[in-house]
Amino acid sequence: MADQKIATTKVAGTWPWFLQRLTAVLLIVFLAVHIYVSHFMDVGAETGEEPLITFEEVSLRLDALIYVVADLGMLTCVLFHGLNGLRTVLFDFDMFANRKKTIDVALFVVGVGTLVWGIVILLPFINGA
Amino acid sequence: MESLRSILKNFKWLFGKNSEFYPTNMKTGMWAWVGHRLTGLALVVYVFLHLSFITTASMAADGADFDVLMEMTSQPLLVAMDFVLVVVVIYHAMNGFRVVLFDLGMGIKRQKLVFWVMMAVSAVLTVGGLWAIWHLLFRGGA
Repeated sequence: MADQKIATTKVAGTWPWFLQRLTAVLLIVFLAVHIYVSHFMDVGAETGEEPLITFEEVSLRLDALIYVVADLGMLTCVLFHGLNGLRTVLFDFDMFANRKKTIDVALFVVGVGTLVWGIVILLPFINGA
Repeated sequence: MESLRSILKNFKWLFGKNSEFYPTNMKTGMWAWVGHRLTGLALVVYVFLHLSFITTASMAADGADFDVLMEMTSQPLLVAMDFVLVVVVIYHAMNGFRVVLFDLGMGIKRQKLVFWVMMAVSAVLTVGGLWAIWHLLFRGGA
């Protein structure tokens, strides 16, 4: 197992290794808040009987900038952690490890693209206040 | 047939009896590692589905699509399936915590014990997750 980690770190780099741990810890916090806020806090508070997540309720919450910042923070962490995790798995296979540059660029494009997509979707809510 | 056999030959390292991944050849730490990878890959797939469905449904300014999606995903079968997601996340998070501990130089010599301690914590969290899912099902929401 120790050999596995060292071998992987050599190909994948020290910074990605460190950031993978950092985002892991952040994601545990983000996920706990995410589940509490979206499924338990205030859900169905207005009607009192339909405990469904509604567009109205989410829009209202996103009027507070902190939720937009938290959403983008979580999105950044989840994209890095997921795609870098995938990268680590891929690099254990020679056919991908031999194409490191291509994999790096492809995953970077997917990550940044998804982040931009997330910002584009959240933009209308930011000015909703 | 011959080509199929040659394709299968490439996967001997994975499925063969001498493979380090052959079930009886794997020990606790290896199972933990394989489990971490499989749950990790599953979660990447889930996250991208989650993001694409929710962002697409959020595009209609009146929120009609979003509410329809929430209605659809709150049906009992899908909420029950969320429990699978809860278990997968808990395993990945708890074994991930174990990995971070090792990187900090803690518990490597007792890695098996640490694994089972984390699995005990996972069991407790899973009961909590079951309660939460039950709560959502009972209230008819999600």
